[in-house]
Amino acid sequence: MFQISSYVQPSEQYKNSFLLWHGPTGMDLWQLLLTLALAGSSDAFSGRETTAAILSRVSQSLLSVNPGLKTNSSKKPKFTKCRSPELETFSCHWTDAVHHGLKNPGPIQLFYTRRNAQEGTQEWKECPDYVSAGENSCYFNSSFTSIWIPYCIKLTSNGGTVDEKCFSVNQIVQPDPPIALNWTLLNISLTGVHADIQVRWEAPPNADIQKGWMVLEYELQYKEVNETQWKMMDPILSTSVPLYSLRVDKEYEVRVRSKQRKSENYGEFSEVLYVKLPQMSQFTCEEDFYFPWLLIIIFGISGLTVMLFVFLFSKQQRIKMLILPPVPVPKIKGIDPDLLKEGKLEEVNTILAIHDSCKPEFHSDDSWVEFIELDIEDPDEKTEGSDTDRLLSSDHEKSHSNLGVKDGDSGRTSCYEPDMLETDFNASDIHDGTSQVVQPQRLKGEADLLCLDQKNQNNSPYHDACPAIHQPSVIQAEKNKPQPLLTDGAESTHQAAHIQLSNPSSLANIDFYAQVSDITPAGSVVLSPGQKNKAGVSQCDMHPEVSLCQANFIMDNAYFCEADAKKCIPVAPHIKVESHTEPSFNQEDIYITTESLTTTSGRPGTAEHVPGSEMPVPDYTSIHIVQSPQGLILNATALPLPDKEFLSSCGYVSTDQLNKIMP
Amino acid sequence: MNIEASPWKGSLLLLLVSNLLLWQSVTPLPVCPGGAVRCQVTLRDLFDRAVVLSHYIHNLSSEMFSEFDKRYTQGRGFISKALNSCHTSSLATPEDKEQAQQISQKDFLSLIVSILRSWNEPLYHLVTEVRGMQEAPEAILSKAIEIEEQSKRLLEGMELILSQVHPETRENAVYSVWSGLPSLQMADEESRLFAYYNLLHCLRRDSHKIDNYLKLLKCRIVHDNNC
Repeated sequence: MFQISSYVQPSEQYKNSFLLWHGPTGMDLWQLLLTLALAGSSDAFSGRETTAAILSRVSQSLLSVNPGLKTNSSKKPKFTKCRSPELETFSCHWTDAVHHGLKNPGPIQLFYTRRNAQEGTQEWKECPDYVSAGENSCYFNSSFTSIWIPYCIKLTSNGGTVDEKCFSVNQIVQPDPPIALNWTLLNISLTGVHADIQVRWEAPPNADIQKGWMVLEYELQYKEVNETQWKMMDPILSTSVPLYSLRVDKEYEVRVRSKQRKSENYGEFSEVLYVKLPQMSQFTCEEDFYFPWLLIIIFGISGLTVMLFVFLFSKQQRIKMLILPPVPVPKIKGIDPDLLKEGKLEEVNTILAIHDSCKPEFHSDDSWVEFIELDIEDPDEKTEGSDTDRLLSSDHEKSHSNLGVKDGDSGRTSCYEPDMLETDFNASDIHDGTSQVVQPQRLKGEADLLCLDQKNQNNSPYHDACPAIHQPSVIQAEKNKPQPLLTDGAESTHQAAHIQLSNPSSLANIDFYAQVSDITPAGSVVLSPGQKNKAGVSQCDMHPEVSLCQANFIMDNAYFCEADAKKCIPVAPHIKVESHTEPSFNQEDIYITTESLTTTSGRPGTAEHVPGSEMPVPDYTSIHIVQSPQGLILNATALPLPDKEFLSSCGYVSTDQLNKIMP
Repeated sequence: MNIEASPWKGSLLLLLVSNLLLWQSVTPLPVCPGGAVRCQVTLRDLFDRAVVLSHYIHNLSSEMFSEFDKRYTQGRGFISKALNSCHTSSLATPEDKEQAQQISQKDFLSLIVSILRSWNEPLYHLVTEVRGMQEAPEAILSKAIEIEEQSKRLLEGMELILSQVHPETRENAVYSVWSGLPSLQMADEESRLFAYYNLLHCLRRDSHKIDNYLKLLKCRIVHDNNC
């Protein structure tokens, strides 16, 4: 260390100490030599004062020559900060210059100037108050403070400017800390573990809040006593703030600092407020409750996965349909394919009938069809239905039931509409393959049986008696028969009828209705081919006469009315159509049975020919089965005598007429 | 404002001011003096809004100035040169709290309106010039645009307040003229930068002034010196 003081000693000592002096090496040698030179020259002056001055100057020059010689203790004074706590006064502070061993070169002075256009030139004024703000400070009271006027201050030491600074007072605002911190308990949680408190304080007294000169913002910080990090809250404008969820068993420290709202600098922190919460419960929770998020997530995901798999792989269609609803397929309104699959042909047919698009056109020409209105609900019909079922085989029954139409189907299976039969079966019985093919034929045969009027079995011998003769006429009659629909099926029915006739016994108890195929000139009626045998001998006799009437009976109607029949009957005078005993030729009689004719005609003479073994054939029949537009199967049971009023137009039967007929 | 006759002017002013003061003490929400039809917003709301606007404008100007300084003029020592050379220095504004308390309400309000008016043109040119700069700094430009807009709104609000509090005040056209446009367009970069620096510095200062004045007035007029 370069110690100057050693050189103040007398020269003898100097000389001696020089030798003994363990000074620094290296570059310090230059200083040493210089000092020696100066010391040697100072001997001439031999004065302590001068020596000291020279030495100080030397040291200073040395210091200036070699800045490395500077020590930390010597510093230039600098401004540390200038601060205005309330925007009315301000003060500036600087660091003190430290000079070891040297006399203070001079008082540090602060000069300021207010750059005001009105003042003109810059005048540096000295600090008005060095004391009030403490050591190394300058305090400017309100009279010296102008807010928005820029200030420049400079620090001088020995005439030399050490530091300089310019600012405006509004930029150096740092409010004082708030005072009077206190806290109050708001509430404690039910468990007694946490509590809420409200912390209050007051604004620093020197800040003029009331007049609005200053608007302060506060920031609160708190922490547990043994923590190191302060928790900060957002700045607030009010002077009280709640603190939530503090642990009761811990102590807290709270501090607040304020800032002017516009500036960036916070003031100092207030004093620390200690918060010790009252303990209500003896036991304290050591650990916080952590919500088991992980467990919940794991369980939730696994549960959802399980449910998803169950849904996807389950056989339950309902659930699957809920999750993945099937794309709706196009549907025809009113027709459900499931109906067809399940074999509910009746419904399908009703639907088809409703739509009115499947109704065959053949009946539209027949105006008489419209007038035939039958009450299907009639109990007689139902009982008759049973008869029909008995009449027909069980297969036929089934096929009947498969047809969508009600009792009328059995009518359809009559000889009139084999085509319709076929179409019906094709439409409805999809799954019955070959059986359906056989069915129509059998049905036709059975239908022929129906037509063949079982109770006219007695007539069958009549028919059979003259098969050969009747054949052509019958065939012709058949052709002329008003069977607009069944022209094709005539032969088949014809054939089927033959087949069926082989077993007449099965049809013993069933009512039969014979279809008039021809009327003999004698007045007897020739029934459809199957009934030829029943017709009886008398019919054969009538044949020649039939041919006469045939020409007149070229009509499409399958029905013969009494009037028409009478036309032919008078040709054969021996045939009396009318007989009071047998008022069979009612207008309502759609079918004129052979028997009725024969009985009427043959009554005078041939009544005995009525087969005694057979059941007496009623003179008139009631409608047994309605086949909607196609035809009617008449009932063989006895009917009350109709009144004369029923004499209506040929071939037409009205509902009320029928109802009167029916018992 | 509609009263032309001078003998009525003073008495009406007195009446209004006294009414205002009376109402101030009785009700915290002063109604519009004279029951003017166009008065739909209370004075308190007007002042609240004005304070919010002025605070916002001051924040924007501070940010704009610091961004400009950091980017262009850091360390150039402009602060020592650009001091108190604002164009609004000609206006007699109170420089500390005592002066602010001594000035009358009416003058205070007129003064604020004058300052705001004085800044209309400089702000407009500032926006234009910054926008025309080659590498227009987006942050500074957006703030300048925002300040210009909000300043106009504040001016309207202040004129409305003035007309409510002192309806008899005529529209005075006192404002400082700004002639710094040529300096903003100088070719020398240093001079130009100094001109911008000066302008932004003055803007920051004046926005702070306006903010402070309004807070003072609000507490004085609306809350009766008891904020």
